[in-house]
Amino acid sequence: MAQNRGEEDEFINKAPLQESRETEEERKRKEEEFGYGLYPERSGSGSRFKQGSIGESLFTFRHKCHIMLQVAMDTSPYAKLLLGAMKSSGCTVHKDRHFSCEDCDGTVSGGFDAATSQIVLCQNNIHQQAHMNRVVTHELIHAFDHCRARVDWFNSFRHLACSEIRAANLSGDCSFVNEISRFNFGLKEHHQACVRGRALRSILAVRKVSREEAELVVDEVFDSCFHDHAPFGRIPHNKKDAKFAYRDYENRDRYYANL
Amino acid sequence: MAGSQSNWRPPRSCDVYWCEFKHCKSLFNRFHEYYTYGRAPDCQQWKEDYYTCKEWEKNHSTQAKESLQESERKRVAEQRKFTPVWELRQTPPADWHMPLNQGKPQDS
Repeated sequence: MAQNRGEEDEFINKAPLQESRETEEERKRKEEEFGYGLYPERSGSGSRFKQGSIGESLFTFRHKCHIMLQVAMDTSPYAKLLLGAMKSSGCTVHKDRHFSCEDCDGTVSGGFDAATSQIVLCQNNIHQQAHMNRVVTHELIHAFDHCRARVDWFNSFRHLACSEIRAANLSGDCSFVNEISRFNFGLKEHHQACVRGRALRSILAVRKVSREEAELVVDEVFDSCFHDHAPFGRIPHNKKDAKFAYRDYENRDRYYANL
Repeated sequence: MAGSQSNWRPPRSCDVYWCEFKHCKSLFNRFHEYYTYGRAPDCQQWKEDYYTCKEWEKNHSTQAKESLQESERKRVAEQRKFTPVWELRQTPPADWHMPLNQGKPQDS
């Protein structure tokens, strides 16, 4: 999976399941090499609490996660645009099927699991609505890429890097305010530096690769992927930008018919 | 009347052009253009498109129509000015809607 380090989300690159049961060795390898270790509920052990149990309500944030997710889907212009675009591409998102609130390790906020076509939301690490909005947007961008392109999450560093660049660029991860809150002070073209940095960290987190190699991959695809603003048509720096983009999206039939 | 499409109308409604112009000129956007690209935004085209749109609304001139079309096509071309890293799909992934099998291997 691609994981988000810190308060970020990363893409979970899960190897497609084979026909035979995987051995304990294979499972461990996947955990180490593809980051599944950060998502213990995904890698076979399941949740500590039975779904719907009192234990779950008392000791996990699952209910809060579901509520915040619903609010994000209903009110965030970023999320609404992505959900609409995915529906147009044939990948209608159903909350119960394509989202999963789980406990995760460390400070990971979420991820996208390509094998099950699910977005994982780390209920133990997302406690504010604004954060949930951003995580949902970030992961939906991965899901959107998965839907509209032949992304080889498993084998291609370039594809992985590209999706991470796009997600960092378009989700608000690298907004001025977010960067300041991380004590990353920068002005001129700092947005690009942030996007590069976050994509690099994502690759290093999920792949056993040297920093130099990861930097080369990011450099190789950066120009292309930084300028791919689908489905927004612009880099949305705040809700107003996102609302304008959503308005353009809703108007797309008229727009293309009269070009 | 002008043109082969008598039911043509501007790709965006005129007030949207004005909205985009004001937004482009705003302090927020000017800051973010610098923060992202290290330069000042170029907002003039939105303003021109607004006036062209208004002109088309008034007298439905071919020149106004073509001017707007050219401007918007340029915008679309700008958005496509990159070589994609991946191949786009014709159809969505086959397993997107497949139900989850709890813990069991999925058939691809």
